[in-house]
Amino acid sequence: MSLSFDLKKSFASGFSIDASLSLDAELLVLFGPSGAGKSLLLKLISGMIRPDEGRISIDSETLFESGSVKINAPIRTRRIGFLFQDYSLFPHKTVYENVAYGIEHLERSAVKARVTGLIALMRLEGLEESYPHQLSGGQKQRTALARTLAVKPRILLLDEPFSALDYQVREKLRADLLKIHQLYQITTILVTHDLEEAFMLAERIAVINNGALEQVGTRDEVFYRPRTRSVARFIGTRNIFSGKVSEAGERFIIYSPGLGRVSAAPSATTFSIGQEVSFCIRPEEILIIRPDRALTTDENVFEGVITNSVGKGSTHALFIEAGAASLKAEVPNFVQRKLGLAIGAPVRVLLKKESIWVIPD
Amino acid sequence: MGTVAGRNSCHHKGFFFYTVTVHGHGLMDLFPLYLTIKVSLTDVVITTAIGLALSWVMAKKEFIGKELLDIIVMQPLVIPPTVLGYYLLTAFGRSSWLGGFLADTLGFEIAFTWKGAVVASVISSLPLFVKPARAAFESVSSDMENAARMLGKGEAEVFRTITLPLAWRGIAAGAVLAFARSTGEFGATLMIAGNIPGLTETLPIAIYDAMLSGDARSANILVGIITAFSFLVIYAAGVFTKKRY
Repeated sequence: MSLSFDLKKSFASGFSIDASLSLDAELLVLFGPSGAGKSLLLKLISGMIRPDEGRISIDSETLFESGSVKINAPIRTRRIGFLFQDYSLFPHKTVYENVAYGIEHLERSAVKARVTGLIALMRLEGLEESYPHQLSGGQKQRTALARTLAVKPRILLLDEPFSALDYQVREKLRADLLKIHQLYQITTILVTHDLEEAFMLAERIAVINNGALEQVGTRDEVFYRPRTRSVARFIGTRNIFSGKVSEAGERFIIYSPGLGRVSAAPSATTFSIGQEVSFCIRPEEILIIRPDRALTTDENVFEGVITNSVGKGSTHALFIEAGAASLKAEVPNFVQRKLGLAIGAPVRVLLKKESIWVIPD
Repeated sequence: MGTVAGRNSCHHKGFFFYTVTVHGHGLMDLFPLYLTIKVSLTDVVITTAIGLALSWVMAKKEFIGKELLDIIVMQPLVIPPTVLGYYLLTAFGRSSWLGGFLADTLGFEIAFTWKGAVVASVISSLPLFVKPARAAFESVSSDMENAARMLGKGEAEVFRTITLPLAWRGIAAGAVLAFARSTGEFGATLMIAGNIPGLTETLPIAIYDAMLSGDARSANILVGIITAFSFLVIYAAGVFTKKRY
């Protein structure tokens, strides 16, 4: 099934949403900071909130249309599955009753077969007669997912489904979700503000900020080629600098007040000399050069001092003062040990041309 | 304390006349108890019907004048019962347009009948029903109801299978409080239904009468009944409002 929408909605608080997108049988991650309008957008698509204007359709069926032909299909006829952040299980019904709740026009034995199948798929066997308050967070979320799948939704909207769960449960549920996505091939939008989750699950990512979609693209496009400075910031690019284009031909040179001359790979976008730009490099793309290694070039090489070092599991985050600029680099732990990259140590860093991404301001 | 000795319908127009023999003290009129139960049960049925609709609308819908409606429904909690009774008499008395219409055209006499006592009871017990019932409806989150809609359910079914079962404790508590309020209703009832022995004399009015005429024994018995009942009511309301999920 394909879903497409083009929506506008202004809220009494002054916040407004203006977004359009089409998606096929894919898993799209809607990513953005808190308050960006992620959940509101899902509620607009599902029919819980009525848009001011625009259009929503699934395949050739129009669910909402403003203008001359007015259409606003009631929620119950949309056949959209919605997974709430707080699960919203029915507290007075058992796991079995929750899953069976939406199934209609089926013989008793067929209902039972479908419910039992979903309970098995979601690893909920033995909990059929339990009430929601007796379940763990992960079990609640799996029950909610089974309940949603039981009515064979055309579209699946997941509103921060894993945010209330602890790390290990979250990992397992993500795997469950991918399994289900492959099994049923349901067009899915998953909302999250968790960068790691977005990276793990997304086929495509839509970055939402302040009610608007700032960039929609494949995972690599969004992560390595952010279109705007705010997208770069949301996807965790720490090293974002301002500069001015000083050469824009064979050689692409940017002058930045902090770092001085920085050379970037020639870009597909055309830049003119003197243009104000932002450029960024992901922390894991910064290379630390051993002090005894001879340099073939001094282009994009900066001398600095490590001001802080934070271990995070398998990597170390190094905060480096290089001239007037602060850089954050991320290196594997063995590199950090081998090169003796402790606080106060002098370092030489190389920003590879190909790793530098330039964004027009 | 006593045994039901018999009933007859002699001078009490059409109503059964209940008496009880209290050991060594002769007969005692229990009609007020019978009337009070009759009025209170009728009150609970009507109050629940009106109150359910009112509290659901006020909990789930946004409309112009919602605040005003809330203020009007809650008035009986603060307005003196005699003032309320005065309003009711003005509205339902035979000389008023509404009262005249009801009595002459529909044959439905309100003032100075037991129905007047019911009207007074409904108006004064409605806020006690609406408060907990509305809170109970509000406590059923719109996400929960939307989850049911997402699963293909229409409004009536969402109400029947989700909203009502999750709110019923608050509704039951409201009904218990409404019943209790109705059994104790005095001022407004006196104004609109009067104090006609064997016709509109309810328990609280009978207690007042007994005190005035120096019949301390009857007053004590009736007070005892009401007191025991009140304890039961608060206990029952507590049972209903205990959280289960």
